[in-house]
Amino acid sequence: MILNRIFFVSLISCLALLTGCWDRKEMDDLALVLASGVDLTDEGQVEITLQIALPTGIPSSLQSSGKAANPIVVLSAAGKDSIDAFDQLQQQMSRRINLGHRGVIVIGEKYARQGFDRILDTLLRSSESRYNSYIVTTYGTTAKEILNSPYQLELIPAIGINKLQYNDYSLSIQIDKFIDALSSFDKEPVTGAIRVTKHGSKQQGFILDKAAVYRSNKLVGFLSGDELKAFRLLTRKFDGIHLTTQMEPPTKKQKGTISVQMIKAETNIHTELKNGKPEVSIYFKAVAKVLSNDTNMDLSKTINRVEERFSEDCHKAIMGMLSRTQKKFKADIVGIGREFHIQHPYVWKKIKNDWNMRYPEISIQLITDFRIERVGRTQAPAQLQEN
Amino acid sequence: MKITGLQVFWMITIMDLGMTLIMTLSPSMQSAKQDVWISMLFAGCLILLVTFFVTNVTVLYPEKDLIQLSHTILGKWIGKVVVLIYLVQWYTITPIVLRQFVDVIQIMILPETPKAAVMLIMLLLIVYTTHSGGIVSIARCSEILGPIIILMVLLAMAASFNNIDLKYLLPVYADSGIGGIAKGTLAPASYLGHSVEYLMLASFLYQPRKGAPYAYWGVITAAFFALIAMLMATITLGVNILPKMWYPFFEMSRKISLFGFIENFDPLSIVIWVASVFIKLAIYLFISSYGTAQFLKIKNWKVMIWLIAPVIMVFAYFPTNVSEATSNYLMNYWVPFALPVNMIALPLLLLIVGKIKQKKSKSVSH
Repeated sequence: MILNRIFFVSLISCLALLTGCWDRKEMDDLALVLASGVDLTDEGQVEITLQIALPTGIPSSLQSSGKAANPIVVLSAAGKDSIDAFDQLQQQMSRRINLGHRGVIVIGEKYARQGFDRILDTLLRSSESRYNSYIVTTYGTTAKEILNSPYQLELIPAIGINKLQYNDYSLSIQIDKFIDALSSFDKEPVTGAIRVTKHGSKQQGFILDKAAVYRSNKLVGFLSGDELKAFRLLTRKFDGIHLTTQMEPPTKKQKGTISVQMIKAETNIHTELKNGKPEVSIYFKAVAKVLSNDTNMDLSKTINRVEERFSEDCHKAIMGMLSRTQKKFKADIVGIGREFHIQHPYVWKKIKNDWNMRYPEISIQLITDFRIERVGRTQAPAQLQEN
Repeated sequence: MKITGLQVFWMITIMDLGMTLIMTLSPSMQSAKQDVWISMLFAGCLILLVTFFVTNVTVLYPEKDLIQLSHTILGKWIGKVVVLIYLVQWYTITPIVLRQFVDVIQIMILPETPKAAVMLIMLLLIVYTTHSGGIVSIARCSEILGPIIILMVLLAMAASFNNIDLKYLLPVYADSGIGGIAKGTLAPASYLGHSVEYLMLASFLYQPRKGAPYAYWGVITAAFFALIAMLMATITLGVNILPKMWYPFFEMSRKISLFGFIENFDPLSIVIWVASVFIKLAIYLFISSYGTAQFLKIKNWKVMIWLIAPVIMVFAYFPTNVSEATSNYLMNYWVPFALPVNMIALPLLLLIVGKIKQKKSKSVSH
């Protein structure tokens, strides 16, 4: 009996200890990919660029003196699809490619315009892929160039992109939301757009200041400036958005601008069916606080006028953005189709397949309501000379 | 071998919850879409009905288990046929569960580990548990593991709270319709239907007559947690992606991202989920060994373990790929046959015939 037990225990512990050995991967046998990029070569192949962290290149805090080696390696290879390209890359790497830490996927503009294919499926199929990787599209450059450009704030540029997205300074989209939009009939995908910043001839890094608009799986254009802000406001990704308006004509002492920061933004989309045509009314409600006031107005008394002005501004920006997505992109990125789907589910079944074609034709009404809740510590600007 | 009511509660809860959570969300969602929670409600109600049959059957002859019951109630030959039908269920579900378990491990966390290694460990574990104390050691294990599994489910859901988008639940009903919802009910109902194994467990209770509430609560708990877990998965990842994934609940825990450093939560939830597979497999190994031994009139049922364990291992190799193991078995045997026959018709038959017999014998004795 005792022998029996010893036999059992030893057998089980043997197996328990050995399980990890089949697919064990040591840290220094892994190439930890922090960002990958996709481009289209002139021959129509997919070119994959990987930014790989080199743990030995990252200086520890103790080792302050002496120049550390470059903490990243950037490699590119082209192939028939992503796996083929990965094979080409693997052949020049002594370490095994590991995608478990990939935080950013950069899509080259040229590739995206031709149509997002060949690599899409691997984004979720592989057990190493993660939902929380961010997806960005390049603007006026290639993914390869983005991944090769230096970034001074972070040791590893990919972490820079990741943090820019994580902090919501601009539009940030994770892979699952992108694929969710691709796979549904009622909305079109968007991603943040990244470009290289240059000062003179020197490359400085990158900036994420646009949004890439897709129609089905093809990139159709970019939103920037007020349109991007309007889009973020309307889709409730308003964290950290500042709006500036020209409140008064500029004078000698002041330029007449007021800036606010968004506190809250709410959108109610109401859809109706009139004569077989969808009609949409959007109620947009925002709450903000004043950050700067370069007029000679006393905000404690004139807050209503400021609210009105911002309300008009928002109205203009949102309508501008919507008409651009309708007329130019023909892509329902706001998800009006989704609201229509929810509010008229049975009609939706009939029209969902050609929502793409109908979207540019629907009429959109917009009502904006802007509230300023706080104005900061001062009422009138403190620097004003009183008469 | 005697067990307490609370242990039965945990055994039924774990047996039902673990697999329902992982295996049935996708097939159910493919037809019921965002209304999967309604399907789940129906499934829960259906299985409560099954549990009603089952518990009432066991009360007829509290000291007897399924094998003896069907002999007593249905006579020698029909009884044998009924027992055979159940044996087929047990002999096929055990390898399938083992195989599904290996598939999960390979797809989600250990893609390169050979199947045999994962299987062998699990098999040795259940053989050891079953052999060492039969149902008693399994019951004690489930008493300990049960709360941990529930805690894991709650934790995974709580950690997903920042990812939810309630609009994924809309529009209610319109997209799927009654047909879709009904079809979506079948898969979770068939997995929750493991409460029929109560027929085997009841006779081991200290007080078999008082076991019914524990069985009910076991089913209710499992159905409830499966329901909110499905709801949670629906509103985190949405109806566009989830029905295309094999294991939506793990996908939900994979989406978890907290404070920028807690990410890829799934290994933890998988490891704890393994506990529920372990309990399930151990119970099946026990009841198939014990049942076969009784069926063949073998005195020492533990001998059967050594016979059945290798059979399970071999059978688990039969499915050539993941869809054969996960969807084909479910859609071709478990839902169309096991659910209506093993879980609804046969318990009902036992109940009706048993009641009539008892009334007759009572009227004879008076």
